[in-house]
Amino acid sequence: MEAAKMASPKSAPKDAQVMAQILKDMGITEYEPRVINQMLEFAYRYVTTILEDAKIYSSHAKKSSVDADDVRLAIQCRTDQSFTSPPPRDFLLDIARQKNQTPLPLIKPYSGPRLPPDRYCLTAPNYRLKSLQKKVSSSAGRITVPRLSVGAVSSRPSTPTLGTPSAQTVSVSAKVGTPVSLTGQRFTVQIPSSQAAVKSATPTTPTVQNVLINPSLIGPKNILITTNMVSSQNTANESNPLKRKHEDDDDYDNL
Amino acid sequence: DRQTLVAVLQFLRRSNLRESEEILRREARLLGDDLGAAALRGSVATIASSSPGVAAVAAVPPGKGGAGAGAVGSVSRVGGRPLPAEPLGTERGCASRSVSVVLGHKGSVSGVVVEDQPDVSAVLSAYNQQGDPTLYEEYYSGLKHFIECSLDCHRAELSQLFYPLFVHMYLELVYNQHESEAKSFFERFHGDQECYYQDDLRVLSSLTKKEHMKGNETMLDFRTSKFVLRISRDSYQLLKRHLQEKQNNQIWNIVQEHLYIDIFDGMPRSKQQIDAMVGSLAGEAKREANKAKVFFGLLKEPEFDVPLDDEDEEGENEEGKPKKKKPKKDSVGSKSKKQDPNAPPQNRIPLPELKDSDKLDKVMNVKEAARRVRLGPECLPSICFYTFLNAYQGLTAVDITDDSSMIVGGFADSTVRVWSVTPKKLRSVKTAADLSLIDKESDDVLERIMDEKTASELKILYGHSGPVYGTSFSPDRNYLLSCSEDGTVRLWSLQTFTCLVGYKGHNYPVWDTQFSPYGYYFVSGGHDRVARLWATDHYQPLRIFAGHLADVTCTRFHPNSNYIATGSADRTVRLWDVLNGNCVRIFTGHKGPIHSLAFSPNGRFLATGATDGRVLLWDIGHGLMVGELKGHTDTIYALRFSRDGEILASGSMDNTVRLWDAFKAFEDLETDDFTTATGHINLPENSQELLLGTYMTKSTPVVHLHFTRRNLLLAAGAYSSQ
Repeated sequence: MEAAKMASPKSAPKDAQVMAQILKDMGITEYEPRVINQMLEFAYRYVTTILEDAKIYSSHAKKSSVDADDVRLAIQCRTDQSFTSPPPRDFLLDIARQKNQTPLPLIKPYSGPRLPPDRYCLTAPNYRLKSLQKKVSSSAGRITVPRLSVGAVSSRPSTPTLGTPSAQTVSVSAKVGTPVSLTGQRFTVQIPSSQAAVKSATPTTPTVQNVLINPSLIGPKNILITTNMVSSQNTANESNPLKRKHEDDDDYDNL
Repeated sequence: DRQTLVAVLQFLRRSNLRESEEILRREARLLGDDLGAAALRGSVATIASSSPGVAAVAAVPPGKGGAGAGAVGSVSRVGGRPLPAEPLGTERGCASRSVSVVLGHKGSVSGVVVEDQPDVSAVLSAYNQQGDPTLYEEYYSGLKHFIECSLDCHRAELSQLFYPLFVHMYLELVYNQHESEAKSFFERFHGDQECYYQDDLRVLSSLTKKEHMKGNETMLDFRTSKFVLRISRDSYQLLKRHLQEKQNNQIWNIVQEHLYIDIFDGMPRSKQQIDAMVGSLAGEAKREANKAKVFFGLLKEPEFDVPLDDEDEEGENEEGKPKKKKPKKDSVGSKSKKQDPNAPPQNRIPLPELKDSDKLDKVMNVKEAARRVRLGPECLPSICFYTFLNAYQGLTAVDITDDSSMIVGGFADSTVRVWSVTPKKLRSVKTAADLSLIDKESDDVLERIMDEKTASELKILYGHSGPVYGTSFSPDRNYLLSCSEDGTVRLWSLQTFTCLVGYKGHNYPVWDTQFSPYGYYFVSGGHDRVARLWATDHYQPLRIFAGHLADVTCTRFHPNSNYIATGSADRTVRLWDVLNGNCVRIFTGHKGPIHSLAFSPNGRFLATGATDGRVLLWDIGHGLMVGELKGHTDTIYALRFSRDGEILASGSMDNTVRLWDAFKAFEDLETDDFTTATGHINLPENSQELLLGTYMTKSTPVVHLHFTRRNLLLAAGAYSSQ
């Protein structure tokens, strides 16, 4: 820290001098000069907050003036709100005992990047692409659509079959949250051309992230999965398990 | 009749007859003490005249004449002001628990708990005021006089009593709201304490009211934990005799309640020996605390063949003999087939398996190790210093990868910046679309997945919302951890340079974090006084190491990943077992918060550095202090052993890097029975001989030290212009 001028200039107001003295008494010898301003500001704000609260309590108790008890009560209430202190020792020892009793979990070999379930990661996209066509979005929708990994998709791991658009409401969307009015909506993966390639590719991919749907993206033009995307998903997943690709969400193009 | 007494007390309290309540309690205590009945009646009479409700009360105490000398356990919270100038002590307690010691009778603790006001935390134990507040000064000076008049050999040991006694008496006065007495007590005696307690005393001087104590967790912990003192049996007998023969043995009560005296048989310790070991907030460590078996050996490295390259053979065969290409076995693994008795079993804690990339890494490691410079007093390492410019005092954490290819800085503006130290730039992987286009079968696929367009020397990672206080690279260089004042620990990917996970658990600033030497696990320590062990794939900690009395400021893994060392602001270093979370070692001796820890490469020793400018060396197996390196004049923020453990490098805020001879410091350890039993060592004053060199920077405090695989010392710090 920069060494501040130790003696505050003579023209400093009395409060600043008092604050400098307090810092000195508490053993703080080196501080930037603006620390005094910050401390004064904090002190002023804290005191006025407490006194205002004390006034309220005092008037509530129908007293004529604010007395020490009111101030004490105000401090107590504010302390619990603004200044939390770490948990007490016996509580910590207790939870530590609980936690430390469970044995260390075994490590699954060859499981790629070892990260918590996606819900606890920050790997989801925090954006969604705006669609060209105006749609009625019934729900605010979920902005962050958690990406499904192998385990998370409970059913229907593969993309819905092409050609039967309306009947199949993707069960995934139910997982995601509000099913909205899915009947009749086509959440299917529609590939206008080169379907064959897709068909062959998709069944082999257990992790089909592209099925992830933002429920607000409803309408006829939904999810387009390009063939490139699918194949690259396959290969990407195979080539290097260490890498997670977050770009699958770019696929939410609109036709 | 105890129950009736309590019932009467409760009634009085409810009817707000506080004074009467106090008197009654005092009477009850007096009855137990068999003090003069005249005084009893006298006081009853005076009070009876002043408060009407007491008449009924006065009738009760005489009936209690039968209350014996046993412990009276009455607990209640009195909010009233103390009655001034009383010849008799007042008795107050706290709502949750009832403990009372009546004048030397370490009687039974009565189980009467009167839950009066729930705002008093359960942690606060009863502070029965044993005597008149105005007499506290006399008690203390009496003890002081006694100790000063005692024999020289005992004086040093008994002087250990001053500090804890002073603090506890002061806190008692404050807690029972005798503010002026507390102040004068403090004024009179705070100068007598040892110089290394001055910081604590300053904090104490700001605690003048009971309300101040509530928010200060460290002080609360201090009050509820027992301060440990190690005193020889002779000195202890002396003390005990003195305190018990005096009429007012309030000090004896405090000693019994708040201090734990670890008695050992043998010679009393000298002042020098004591000074080396004391200083922590909880006294010293009990001897049993350091008796658990610690597996300090290293895990066996897996054996694998190291293929010889042509390059390695360049300088070797000048004569042109035919080169014999024998694959070299990894020498580390094949040293001994038998299990090292001090090493933990391989599967004691689950460790991640070695991937192919890890094996390649190890091969590189071995090759580099072959080219390693052997350091020693005659061959000191060269030091390469990386100065962070324009950081404006914002550099708060630095880490360097094991192969010295990347350096990361954590800053007070909440950014994490990664630089490449080698000419090879930092690249992120290609997008998925591009990745589909590459040939996956080619040999250099790992190069092809990198996107050249994103190559840069510096990558900035944004995400934290507070200064970044700790950073750590994973051993496989895929991940980076950073911990910050915002209470989270973040995992960043070094392939995409994005944040992967935020681990929330500490709700308070996290001061340090480190990856395990094998990856997968990491430890973090923060302001909430605990260290936590996490695994990258669990969003909650796996282990919580609770026990420190103040913030955990430094956390390090042992080379075998089975133990974690934590240094704290309560001036102790603790060693924890990862398997079950137990604290297996407590090392006291530092006089300031500990900011750096380093394990020796062979796993047997630990070096610690603190704000007091000393580096202390500890033998983990025996739990003893084996060395003290004096020389630095300011906080030591960086400590590192060289790759083979020959040299210890320390970097400090006094802008110097010092090199110490580690081999010499650790040889010739006295480990006879007495030392191991009592833990008393005579530290040789050999700091000067062990110091191999002092290297000054112009004005850059040293924040990080790192020995490359070839034993070149890298140092890092931010230039501060003054």
